[in-house]
Amino acid sequence: MGGLQKKKYESGSATNYISRNKARKKLSLSLADFRRLCILKGIYPHEPKHKKKVNKGSTAPRTFYLLKDIRFLLHEPIVGKFREYKIFVRKLRTAYGKAEWGAVGRLKREQAFVQIGPHHQGEFTCFESSGFSSRSFILWGCHVMNERLKPENLSDKRYPTFIDALRDVDDALSMCFLFSTFARTGKCHVQTIQLCRRLSVEWMNYIIASRSLRKVFLSIKGMYYQAEVLGQTVTWIVPYQFAHDHPTDVDYRVMATFTELYTTLLGFVNFRLYQTLNLVYPPKLDGQGELSLKSECEEDYALESESYSEKLSALSASLARTVPSVEEEEAELDHFPAEGEDLEKMEAREKIELEQNKQKKLFEGLKFFLNREVPRESLAFVIRCLGGQVSWDKSLCIGSTYDETDETITHHIVDRPSIEKQYINRYYIQPQWVYDCVNAKMLLPVEEYFLGVTLPPHLSPFVEESEGDYVPPEKLKLMALQRGEKPLFTEAAAEEEEEEEEGDEDEEEEEDEDDEDEDDQSEEEDEAEDEENLAEMEAKRAQGKRLPVKVTPGKVKPENRMRTEQEEKAEEKRLAIMMMKKREKYLYDKIMFGKKRNVREANKLAAKRKAHDDASKADKKKKKKKC
Amino acid sequence: MAAAWRHKRVAASQPGFLPLKSNLGGDSSNVKRRKRVNKNKKKSWNKFSDIQDVEEFLEDVRLQERTTGGLIAEKTDDSLFFVDTGDKDEKDKDAQPETTVKKGKHSKPLRIDLILQPDSHIPAPKNVLAFQQPNAKKQRRTSDRAAKLASMGILPRREKLLQLRRAAAASGVSAKKRAVANNNPDRTFYDLWTAETAPETADPYYLEQTKKKLVKRPDRLNEKPSVLPAIEVIAPGGSYNPDFFSHQDLLRKAHEVEVKKIKAEEKLARQLAVNEDVATEETTFKEQVEGLIEEEEIEPEEPEGDTEGTVTGPTATQEKKTEKQRKKEKAKRIKELQRKAERQVIDKRQQLFQLRSISADLKKQEQRTKMRQAQRKAQQEAQKSMPRRLGKLKFQDPDLDVQLSNELAGSLRSLKPEGSILKDRFLSLQKRNIIEPRDRAKFKRKYKLKFSEKRAFREIQ
Repeated sequence: MGGLQKKKYESGSATNYISRNKARKKLSLSLADFRRLCILKGIYPHEPKHKKKVNKGSTAPRTFYLLKDIRFLLHEPIVGKFREYKIFVRKLRTAYGKAEWGAVGRLKREQAFVQIGPHHQGEFTCFESSGFSSRSFILWGCHVMNERLKPENLSDKRYPTFIDALRDVDDALSMCFLFSTFARTGKCHVQTIQLCRRLSVEWMNYIIASRSLRKVFLSIKGMYYQAEVLGQTVTWIVPYQFAHDHPTDVDYRVMATFTELYTTLLGFVNFRLYQTLNLVYPPKLDGQGELSLKSECEEDYALESESYSEKLSALSASLARTVPSVEEEEAELDHFPAEGEDLEKMEAREKIELEQNKQKKLFEGLKFFLNREVPRESLAFVIRCLGGQVSWDKSLCIGSTYDETDETITHHIVDRPSIEKQYINRYYIQPQWVYDCVNAKMLLPVEEYFLGVTLPPHLSPFVEESEGDYVPPEKLKLMALQRGEKPLFTEAAAEEEEEEEEGDEDEEEEEDEDDEDEDDQSEEEDEAEDEENLAEMEAKRAQGKRLPVKVTPGKVKPENRMRTEQEEKAEEKRLAIMMMKKREKYLYDKIMFGKKRNVREANKLAAKRKAHDDASKADKKKKKKKC
Repeated sequence: MAAAWRHKRVAASQPGFLPLKSNLGGDSSNVKRRKRVNKNKKKSWNKFSDIQDVEEFLEDVRLQERTTGGLIAEKTDDSLFFVDTGDKDEKDKDAQPETTVKKGKHSKPLRIDLILQPDSHIPAPKNVLAFQQPNAKKQRRTSDRAAKLASMGILPRREKLLQLRRAAAASGVSAKKRAVANNNPDRTFYDLWTAETAPETADPYYLEQTKKKLVKRPDRLNEKPSVLPAIEVIAPGGSYNPDFFSHQDLLRKAHEVEVKKIKAEEKLARQLAVNEDVATEETTFKEQVEGLIEEEEIEPEEPEGDTEGTVTGPTATQEKKTEKQRKKEKAKRIKELQRKAERQVIDKRQQLFQLRSISADLKKQEQRTKMRQAQRKAQQEAQKSMPRRLGKLKFQDPDLDVQLSNELAGSLRSLKPEGSILKDRFLSLQKRNIIEPRDRAKFKRKYKLKFSEKRAFREIQ
């Protein structure tokens, strides 16, 4: 037997991986720095397939990285910067310890002016420690490091194209919106909070300008928004105001590093998005004349330096464009001759396009006024996204455009049981109406959202029911409305009888729908139908046997084309089922069984719901009677 | 005293010396008797020589210098005397009113200042050290060198940088652009994706050798470690004003999770519980009568007998086979082999007729492998969305955020948000395998705490 004996763990997966500690030592970085580096460079730990082999026979759980990744990091000039910074901090700490203030000053100055040599310009990332006061030094120890992500790295490396970046912007947005709501305490840098606020406001302004908001969902956690930006659906979550408790089991340092990365990303994405709309970046408000008029109350509201950004964040005014805005032409889809499936697809697309256009202009011409107890920013954002005008009390926030006394206001959004002074020519509605309108893509009847009325449930727009699933009756109603059927509820304060009737109608509708579903799917009924047909034929035959034969002039039977078509289809289906192989038949039966079970369960839920509604109605009646 | 006397004589005999004090000469009258002392030692010279007259003379010289600014004898007559013409008063009168008008009450110096004014006519000696420059020599030398270099046209570094900066400022480009912090709220952005990066002018080989060339980021790194979406939208039951059934649905899910947890906990508790027997009446009684009652002895032989019966090992002594037996066995073996070979041939021939069933078998097998492949693929797909084991800790799904029916707020105003988005984000990162799940580091005491009683406390006890 020739050849050398192979040694264990010298090739294969054992050499493809490296444990975290070894990687850290190889890069000669501290663990915190290593983490930062991995986050910034997008290097993630990896679970090996054969852990025991990788771990040299031990089964202890460990964090592994791919060796290739770490080798890649080894070539990063940024690693050198990390080391330099470590040395700088050590020197600074020594100087502090020895109370050599001259040395402290010199070190800081040197570090602040770390100059990139002419041949390194743009090649190396640069650290610098502006704002690195003695206080922050004590607070943060050696962890504070304002490392500058080299933007080029971000572009060619992490996000080669703009669309790549846009796909990853969900995370960035959620993080920015979250950090922008933080209190300015010691949990993270105030500057970071300010930057996050700026970027999130910029994003909201872009969404308003592009009118790309699609869905909103108010959950118990926070507000989910979904927008369609350049063909990508972007979802993000915004926390409610004042809803913060700082959880202790979250690593703030890691989150801060992510925020650093994401703010950089979001900034560049914003810039590009503003460019696509010909908007000025950083955003400028349009129409300076209007602003100067309102300057009296602003002085009390914010400092001179902050008032502009506050005005921007009020979301009430539109942004300035680099090119004066021309009336947007309705870009129509190109029509190509198409057949079959393509045609259907195209029609569907056109329909969606039409719907979206409608949604974009949903609130156009409507004037809203927000009472002070409603979430101002969210509502202003949503209303402006759909083209409405919005204002609020002058004392509530900067940037209000008209007063409560304005006669042209159409909707007044209130979230309290009653309001004393009411204007006759406007609707007083609860905030949910606005959000439900966005999700329904239409103006819902306002009656159900009047002041003090129990609201209909706020349904999640993110659920897409498949066939046979349980659909809440509210959604059914909504769908009916969307289809253009007559709204069932015409008066908010309907009498009980009416309510009952409506309830019945609802049920009928549900049943109808169920029937339809079943027609489509169940073959049982088909068979039943066939049997019926047969019986009819037999009966005819029996009739034919009767002796007194009579010829009557034949009536022209109006041929129900739809009916015959359906029958034909059903027949085809039946035949196809008959022709099935055994295995396929088995599978088919299984599928059908599953579908039927779904339907059954949905029916059960619907029945339950009905029972629940009835019970609640009965309760109400009782209460009324008692009263 | 002869010396003193002689000295006095010498001093007095100085040509043109005028003593200020008149008694200088008069002292010579009281001459003491000469004392006889040995003068062969220096000590006695000092001790017994009288130098008073010299001292006095020098004192007089100093006094003259102090008061008049020099020896009177050397002064000219003009400076010592003047001709009294008698019109001194007029002169004073002319001078005085001017001064009185000019100088007010304040201009009169204080008496104490006058007293403190030095009245000596000799200027105080200069403090030499005050006028001395440290490193004067070195500085002189450096300045000399700088001058020399300047004459040759070489400027010092500082000067050069200053000139550069000035030139840059004049041309409108600031030479030093201070890097802006990453989290500066006013930082600027630009179009990153169309920004033209300056083409590399340097020699690629040079860059490579000097390790200045950046390594290309492998595409593998741009793949996301999980297929899960960044934002997982809460179930419809999590709406602030949910539909009844979806809310119930969510509650049921949360309930199931909770039940599972409790079951696991209970199981653990059951497994960990110490199996200690609680003393019952029976056991206590048994304990009390332990050893008092004679129990029947258990026969120990019984199991032995059992084992003997069960042992079925090869018998140790096997008789040797005879030649005949061996031959017989061999023939049997050969026959068996032949039979098998024949059977194989027949089977093979037979297989020709079994072709259909064989092909069916093959098909079946193929089908099975295909199915398994599909299954494995599906499993792998499912694995992709699962959180990986990336460290010591396993990722555990967080509790579902729910609000019970009575906690639900009727309106947006009275809504109490549930859960923390920050934690949610953090866990989402863990779930998507971007960071490994970690626990907060526990506080570890380096040294044990030491307890001691205070004296006062002990006294009370």
